[in-house]
Amino acid sequence: MIRFEKVSKAYPGQARPALNSLSIDIQKGEFVFLVGQSGSGKSTALKLMLREQRPTTGRVYVAGKEINRLAGWKVPRLRRQVGTIFQDFRLLANKNVAENVAFAMQVTGHSNREIRQRVPETLELVGLDGKGDRMPDELSGGEQQRVAVARAFINRPMILIADEPTGNLDPGNTVGIMRLLDRINRSGTTIVMATHDVQMVDQMRKRVIELEHGHLVRDQVQGGYGAQF
Amino acid sequence: MQLRYVFTELRQGLRRNLSMHVAVALTLLVSLTLAGVGLLLREQAQLTEEVWGDELQITFYMCNGANDRNPQCAGAVDDSQKKVITDALDDNKYVDKVEEESQEQAYERLQALDVEGVSGPDPVVKADDMWESYWVTMTDPHHSAEIIEAVAGLDGIDHVGDVHEVTGPILAAVDGLQSAALVGAIVLVIAALLLVANTIRLAAFARRREIGIMRLVGASTLYIALPFLLESLVVALVGIGLSGVALASVMYFGVEQRLSSTAVTQWVGWEEFFSSFAIVAILGILLTLVPTLLLTRKYIKV
Repeated sequence: MIRFEKVSKAYPGQARPALNSLSIDIQKGEFVFLVGQSGSGKSTALKLMLREQRPTTGRVYVAGKEINRLAGWKVPRLRRQVGTIFQDFRLLANKNVAENVAFAMQVTGHSNREIRQRVPETLELVGLDGKGDRMPDELSGGEQQRVAVARAFINRPMILIADEPTGNLDPGNTVGIMRLLDRINRSGTTIVMATHDVQMVDQMRKRVIELEHGHLVRDQVQGGYGAQF
Repeated sequence: MQLRYVFTELRQGLRRNLSMHVAVALTLLVSLTLAGVGLLLREQAQLTEEVWGDELQITFYMCNGANDRNPQCAGAVDDSQKKVITDALDDNKYVDKVEEESQEQAYERLQALDVEGVSGPDPVVKADDMWESYWVTMTDPHHSAEIIEAVAGLDGIDHVGDVHEVTGPILAAVDGLQSAALVGAIVLVIAALLLVANTIRLAAFARRREIGIMRLVGASTLYIALPFLLESLVVALVGIGLSGVALASVMYFGVEQRLSSTAVTQWVGWEEFFSSFAIVAILGILLTLVPTLLLTRKYIKV
């Protein structure tokens, strides 16, 4: 589903590359944690998956497409297959919960009938049934992240990329979000999640890919945050 | 495509950046009006040249036997005299082209100027009172004296009209006004371009969150850019409409009400107004949509 072949990424003006000859292969339906210290290259790897960046050398394949060769006008179609969630939720403050979720369908050209049907279903899936008319500032952090998950998942993407989705949440809400992501993963969606949360990675026992200074230092099935080779 | 979303965004965008949009529309009004005035002046210069001949022309008027100024004229010019004159002109190296105008053609041209006493059932001036003439286009206007010297003394020539003396000041004034309008239009066009660029930058900044989310969920570039393009189009149409009103006012109050009563030349009419306004309208749309397209590509790059 996602493959990096000897991928390096160097930013102009920086002495060290953000990624250095990284090769990873993530299969359909996998749940993968991407761990490492700040500056290890996690965010760059996620940006390459979303084609927000292009590799300096090497090849990145996402959903069967080599992103470096993908024409600009085809990028939106790729992104419809990749949902994204972030630490800061990125909700629109002037839209209510249902409108925030519906926004992802509206701007990708779905009909009103489809939107009316799928928004309540997805809100129910993420545990926000009955909260569609609330504004984002009326919700807790955990609930706001659920809205973000609903928005990322409403177009039923093949891949869900999560960049520190529990970074702003308390332990209770973190567990709730992780359970939700696990449920989505069980429905067949591939999940790649960058995180610093040691406890959560240890508990989930999923595949762990660890980066350090842009190098792959660990790729372990059912790993923990601090496990060694 | 969810057009309702696009139009909601358009309405919000117009309201959010209202002061900037007003500034762009007013700048467009002035710059497009100046450009329109420049175009009308160009049309006016052409009309003046058509009526009076351009700067490179000398006119040899031939005796008509009716109201000749030259005492040497003994009745209307005859064919043999005309032959001598045309041969002299053909042999002259400074002559580029010779066009003959009959008495009837000269009369029609006079009638076109709508001079009092020319038209109507009992005109003061008739075709027989006009002079048959040769309109000579020179290869170089500085050598008009040589041509006049070679031809003016020939039999059958009544008098010589060096049109340069008449049209020179009029054309110079029209040219001057045209240049001033052009310079003003260029300066304001640059101001309009910068204003449009600033407006787009501000609008993109105000919507950066929505744009970021739209990009991530896979909205197409066109879909993201459409509200910006429509916003610019609305402002362009307002600016073009206002400049149309301003230009029409110039035509009505300036040309129709004041200048058209003076028969010095033929003045620009509504036909010239519409052709100039069409160019102004295209210019206005290009001025707003081209920078919008370029900048939205830059700010909402997928």
